[in-house]
Amino acid sequence: MQAIEVQDLRKNFRIQQSRGGLKGALQDLFAREYREVAAVNDISFTIPQGEICGYIGENGAGKSTTIKMLTGILVPTSGHIKVNGYVPYQEREKFVQGIGVVFGQRSQLWWDIGVIESFQLLRKVYQVSEADFKKRLDELVERLQLQELLSRPVRKLSLGQRMRCELVAALLHNPSIVFLDEPTIGLDIVVKSEIREFLKDLNRTQGTTILLTTHDLQDIEALCSRVIMLDAGSIIYDGGLDDLKTRWGRGREVRFQFGGAVQAAQLNAWTMGLPVTWTQESDLVATALVPADMAVSDVFSRVLGQAEVTDVQISETSTDEIVRQIYSSGSAEKPEEQPHV
Amino acid sequence: MYYLGLIWEYFTNYVKTRLTYRADFWVEVISDLLFQATNLIFIFVVFAHTETLGGFTEAEVVFVYGYFMVPYGLYSCFINLWNFGDRYIVKGEMDRILTRPAHSLFQIFLENLDPPSLIGSVIGIIIMIWSGGQLGLEMEWWYIPVLIIMTIGSTLIYAGIYIILTSVSFYSDSPTGIIPLMVNIQTYGRYPITIYNRAIQIILTWVLPFAFVGIYPAALFLQRQEMMAMAWLTPVMGIVFFTASLLLWNSGVKRYRGAGS
Repeated sequence: MQAIEVQDLRKNFRIQQSRGGLKGALQDLFAREYREVAAVNDISFTIPQGEICGYIGENGAGKSTTIKMLTGILVPTSGHIKVNGYVPYQEREKFVQGIGVVFGQRSQLWWDIGVIESFQLLRKVYQVSEADFKKRLDELVERLQLQELLSRPVRKLSLGQRMRCELVAALLHNPSIVFLDEPTIGLDIVVKSEIREFLKDLNRTQGTTILLTTHDLQDIEALCSRVIMLDAGSIIYDGGLDDLKTRWGRGREVRFQFGGAVQAAQLNAWTMGLPVTWTQESDLVATALVPADMAVSDVFSRVLGQAEVTDVQISETSTDEIVRQIYSSGSAEKPEEQPHV
Repeated sequence: MYYLGLIWEYFTNYVKTRLTYRADFWVEVISDLLFQATNLIFIFVVFAHTETLGGFTEAEVVFVYGYFMVPYGLYSCFINLWNFGDRYIVKGEMDRILTRPAHSLFQIFLENLDPPSLIGSVIGIIIMIWSGGQLGLEMEWWYIPVLIIMTIGSTLIYAGIYIILTSVSFYSDSPTGIIPLMVNIQTYGRYPITIYNRAIQIILTWVLPFAFVGIYPAALFLQRQEMMAMAWLTPVMGIVFFTASLLLWNSGVKRYRGAGS
């Protein structure tokens, strides 16, 4: 069964257009001008049960708006959504019983009371039986090492501690789908990787479907088998992370530092016949771009014989780099032409 | 049953939170009571100059005031929508409310419970008993069930009016300007309605029916024949306004736009 089905989903917002100056402000008082903006523009996708899917895009691309429609917070302007067998905004109260939601920038917990009291309150709100609650809480507390924190008020927790508690709060009722909106925002590396491990475990042992938005691509690399990339309200990529890398990755970069001055013409002459592109930083430093299907050693054998090399660095195009390029071009179509020399 | 259980849970949480800020609690109770006391003193000042007000004696007006305090206390305790626009719409806390399996409005009521207001209701009952004694009213068996029904009716009227006004935040940007005006108008309901001109009487009865949170139901206990029919309308008006407000709220929530990311 599909956990999430979305078809031609759209959300328009009416934005007030302010006119400038005092005159404009007075005009606005009587007659306002509005403009319709599509925050999410006819998107379609399905997510099968048990998948971890990453939902990425620049700020304002429509990620949060989509998540809010999927969780029943916002009513779509048009299109169909089915999550867990429900239309989220129609039977909201029944529907939310089966999902868990974590908003990285917003707390589920009560500020002034102990963490455990918040959990107890959520137990009542979600009508979880005492036995199920205890079992689930023990597991989660054990797994996330919260024993010490349970009696402290939320306002006295660090962000990392709070975030781990937020996860517990969202999972107490054993939801089959979990939505996470920027769950690792502002956290240090240790807590980030703890949370990633935890989510992975959750997915493996309980088969929980997870949809997360993030700006940290390491979250995606560590967790997601699939990525949906959004730009200006439309999906520009939907598929595996590996596919994205092979499609967009430009191969490896080999950076040479030479013992003596080297001319551009010389560099090109050395690798004559190979699909290698050179860029020169200075007389002494040059970088060769080696396509993914070619062995780096071929370049070495050509260059090392010709000049005195003092240092070599090999680096692969990182996911960050790839995504940055896609964002700036606004499309996941691979650029047409790779200039070969 | 589910909702009753939740009221208890949220109430105990309120107590736990408040115990950490004890001084605050007493300041709130005392300032509330002082506010009510000044209103009462105002009534005494007025009656220092006149025998009757719209055909009501001093003790009768005080009795009406006593009744007025009972539903007002309940309303302030359970239906606290003061900071709704700011906290739930502008700061986007409505997001969190909408991801939980209980009615959104009910959750907001629970998160803003204000039990100290109930002290006002208790004092209202004391004032009714005291001024009733002055008037020589005999306590009759039906007073208690009727008082309960009327109080529920009046509280539902408060709830209805304020839910309707609050629901407007879903449709318009910032309607908060109306609320302080309402708070002013609601006090009109605790004086004999006959002192106002015809237009205001109609407004207080049918448009913003604040006469039903004070003078009309109280008149029943004072055995004022001329207002008897109106008094029995109190629960009906309460149900009508409350139902209308729920419908408006439910359709308003569908227009909620969220805030920020």
